[in-house]
Amino acid sequence: MANITKKVSWSSRADESAAAGEGTPLLNGSEQPQHSRQDSLRGRPKEIPHNEKLLSLKYESLDYDNIENQLFLEEERRMSYMGFRCLEISRWVVCGLIGFLTGLIACFIDIVVEQLAGIKYQVVKENIEKFTEAGGLSISLILWAVLNSTFVMMGAIIVAFFEPIAAGSGIPQIKCYLNGVKIPRVVRLKTLVVKVCGVICSVVGGLAVGKEGPMIHSGAVVAAGVSQGRSTSLKRDFKIFEYFRRDTEKRDFVSAGAAAGVSAAFGAPVGGVLFSLEEGASFWNQMLTWRIFFASMISTFTLNFFLSIYHANPGDLSNPGLINFGRFESDSVAYNLYEIPLFIAMGAIGGLLGALFNVLNYWLTIFRIRYVHRPCLQVMEAMLVAAVTATVSFAMIYFSNDCQPLGPEHTEEYPLQLFCADGEYNSMATAFFNTPERSVRSLFHNQPGTYNPLTLGLFTLTYFFLACWTYGLAVSAGVFIPSLLIGAAWGRLCGILLASITSNSSTSAQDSTAIWADPGKYALIGAAAQLGGIVRMTLSLTVIMVEATGNVTYGLPIMLVLMTAKIVGDYFEEGLYDIHIKLQSVPFLHWEAPATSHWLTAREVMSSPVTCLNRVEKVGTIVDVLSNTSTNHNGFPVVVQVSGSDESGKLCGLILRSQLIVLLKHKVFVELARSRLTRRKLQLKDFRDAYPRFPPIQSIHVSQDERECMMDLTEFMNPTPYTVPQETSLPRVFKLFRALGLRHLVVVDDENRVVGLVTRKDLARYHLGKHGLEELQLAQT
Amino acid sequence: MALNKSSWFLVFLLINIDALVSADVDFTAPESADRPEPALSAAAAVFKPAVDSLFSLNLLSSFPEDLEISDYCTELLNIFGQRYVDYVKCLVPAARPVRVCQNCFSSYGSLVDTYTNISSDQMGPGNVSCRDSLLRSDRLMLVFQLYSNLDDLWTRSLCKQCLTDGLHNLSNTTLYFMTLLNQTISCFDKYKQGNHTELCKSCKNTYRGLNELYGGMEKNHTLCIDIEDAMNMTRRLWSKNFNCSFPREETVAVIAVSSFMVFLPIIFYLSSFLHSEQKKRKLIHPKRAKSYNSLMNIQDKLS
Repeated sequence: MANITKKVSWSSRADESAAAGEGTPLLNGSEQPQHSRQDSLRGRPKEIPHNEKLLSLKYESLDYDNIENQLFLEEERRMSYMGFRCLEISRWVVCGLIGFLTGLIACFIDIVVEQLAGIKYQVVKENIEKFTEAGGLSISLILWAVLNSTFVMMGAIIVAFFEPIAAGSGIPQIKCYLNGVKIPRVVRLKTLVVKVCGVICSVVGGLAVGKEGPMIHSGAVVAAGVSQGRSTSLKRDFKIFEYFRRDTEKRDFVSAGAAAGVSAAFGAPVGGVLFSLEEGASFWNQMLTWRIFFASMISTFTLNFFLSIYHANPGDLSNPGLINFGRFESDSVAYNLYEIPLFIAMGAIGGLLGALFNVLNYWLTIFRIRYVHRPCLQVMEAMLVAAVTATVSFAMIYFSNDCQPLGPEHTEEYPLQLFCADGEYNSMATAFFNTPERSVRSLFHNQPGTYNPLTLGLFTLTYFFLACWTYGLAVSAGVFIPSLLIGAAWGRLCGILLASITSNSSTSAQDSTAIWADPGKYALIGAAAQLGGIVRMTLSLTVIMVEATGNVTYGLPIMLVLMTAKIVGDYFEEGLYDIHIKLQSVPFLHWEAPATSHWLTAREVMSSPVTCLNRVEKVGTIVDVLSNTSTNHNGFPVVVQVSGSDESGKLCGLILRSQLIVLLKHKVFVELARSRLTRRKLQLKDFRDAYPRFPPIQSIHVSQDERECMMDLTEFMNPTPYTVPQETSLPRVFKLFRALGLRHLVVVDDENRVVGLVTRKDLARYHLGKHGLEELQLAQT
Repeated sequence: MALNKSSWFLVFLLINIDALVSADVDFTAPESADRPEPALSAAAAVFKPAVDSLFSLNLLSSFPEDLEISDYCTELLNIFGQRYVDYVKCLVPAARPVRVCQNCFSSYGSLVDTYTNISSDQMGPGNVSCRDSLLRSDRLMLVFQLYSNLDDLWTRSLCKQCLTDGLHNLSNTTLYFMTLLNQTISCFDKYKQGNHTELCKSCKNTYRGLNELYGGMEKNHTLCIDIEDAMNMTRRLWSKNFNCSFPREETVAVIAVSSFMVFLPIIFYLSSFLHSEQKKRKLIHPKRAKSYNSLMNIQDKLS
């Protein structure tokens, strides 16, 4: 075992979290008898291809548990009543700021995308018009493909080379963060910048993506940044909100930020709150909910207000979200009881298609992780996808014979005529030659008869595969809009087919044809079904859809559709976000421990033996323990050694690696304290100042003399860590862990001696697979 | 909706007009009971016999002097009727092909003048305003409804955009468009017989000029229904009847380029599959306490 623990570089990107992870052996040495299976693996670490059944070592837990050490108690005593009131007020201020900034970012993205995409489509359109007459349309095709690839290349380069964590929609990452996993660099300012620029590039580059998912991530980053009152990247400290520099407070604000992001993206403040509730609900209280709602409202209002200024009618607050589904006329949304079975059937179709989407994307992602892992390859792949998207779209438009007269209100932003008669436009082009948001809107609202069934069928088919291929590229982009678009296309197709069936079979039912005749309604239901089938969100998605359409009448059908889609989809495959969380080997804790795991006890689950520190420990020992690079545990039980016995001592506290590092940095040694009486006492503030990027142990210099000093941990350790007896069952441990947001749970015997330590990875490795309870393996990624 | 509106209007009347005048209003109409208020229905019950008897006995008798509309207003009403008829007479023949703006703008102008007279709150001779008596003394509001229908028609036809400011003349752009249109049509007529390719070639320039002018007018918002309709017809002639749209000629080139593009990713994925080193993960084996023999270890169970 000792030779497994030789130093390895943890990830291709050496960053401070990995360096911090190059931690101490929790397990100290080779004298313990090994399990036979593990013995056989001596020599070289076993290498396997990446798969979903791994847990990565690079992810750590967040410290949600409050460390009630003496410093904390002292600070609380010093704080006056007014101090607490001010804290409460500043929480509100922070939430307001989060909402405001998130709204501004959404507004910025929207405007830039609109401008750039406008220019791009204008250029391509003029080119196509020129070559339609003169001949040489293949040149337009190449121009379109090259323009797309260029934009996407920029987006992919910044993502692949500068901040890979900004790839994708960011919802899985935020989900993990709210679950309590510290994803390295996920809430950095740099990530935000890359995310915003990346999403602009990929949407303008014409990929089958949306800008809504990244808004949620952006909101979360804004929240994490604003609440800290400083930026480590910019090296600016505004000396405000210092109290919030803790994981617990930060997590609350991040959930507010995610909610503000959803709210800005869809104009759905309540949906945003419920999204946070659905994803991070294990830590929840009523005041927090109210604050999050406040942030959401502010965010959607800010977006609204600034967009109204941009559209040159300030004060008109009718642009609540990035995606605006538009108003459904009140008579066109009427639905009847007999339509509900139809809606449910559509939900089932959505579930099936969503599961297919997820399965395809799963295999594609595995392939990408295994073979397309170098940044330059990722950029090339993204460019190819962009070029092919343009090509396929062009070919579709070129060979489409579906010509429609220009409408009186000109809903088509860039009508392409091509070979259509004058005064008509190519109806395939409204679907492909447009930003996806606009396509969704035209599918929802265009007059019956705008699209013919063949066009819609082909569009659904191509867009399905394009979207599936696009998700998981190294560009920042969301999957909401493509899903909505696919769903809206086949939903509208359903509507048209139903209308034609009923008009053929019955001429008597005059009033029913009026209801059948509106395909926009079916487009909406189809969109909900497809989105539900892919992402499998329930409550929040229903509310988001209802709010985005601005129509409560549709609450029931949308809910039924989403339920059906989830039930049908879950039968085949998990939701897209869960798949990606799994594939990234994140130790994610679900709501409940896996079923049939009651026979497992803490003894089997825990890691053992544990590296413990004495209450008064030699500095040299601590430095050695911290510098040892074999394992990645971050908490050390503090024990009182029973004199003269070899057994591990009685537990009296728990101390974290980050605390030890701060202590070493400030040289809080017993000897020094005696010699320099005037020395300032270490305060909680010193720990907060180092948060969240604690320096690695290598950067702390400890001289030979100092190694002989002693350190008294009594003041700093958490004197009352949570403990469980060895016989506790796994579900019980799990519940404690999940509900309290723990990071370390000490397992003790009947004499309060430390026998083991349970951490997130010990719990997350059990999951219910096809063959009963399975165990995930730990791996370096 | 309309019912609601009228019943509210009724309430409004009740409040504003004195009881004698309100006797004109037919309380017995079933629609007016749409949203019955206690006071209203009570009033209806009181008035009902009186109104009934009055109407049944003497339907054609005139009301006392002060309730009758003044001569001045009758005169205005007559003029309004005359002009209304004129305008409608002008509109109907101009329905297809649409000529409503160019033919009827002057009669619309005079209709508007009359209506403005009626609806102005200036006192006419004899210190009477016809606004109240003609426009809103009953539920039907016939004059107002008639006018608003036509006004709506006018708004939707966008005729205003083709006219000069005072609605007296067609605007210059419109006239220019007409000239170009006539040129195009005459060109069409000239080559209509025989081969259409000849037509497509010869009239192309005129037609394109017309098309461009139309596009410009569309941007400047100087289109009205006449022009839109004329352009639609011309375009239909051009594209459908004479078949002068662009043909789809370069299918081969497009297919070639597209298939090349689609081929690229296949090469990319194949090459990265063959040449790229597969990413391996190093497994770590965490320390576990030795399990008791009585409890089967999960790893053993699985292996």
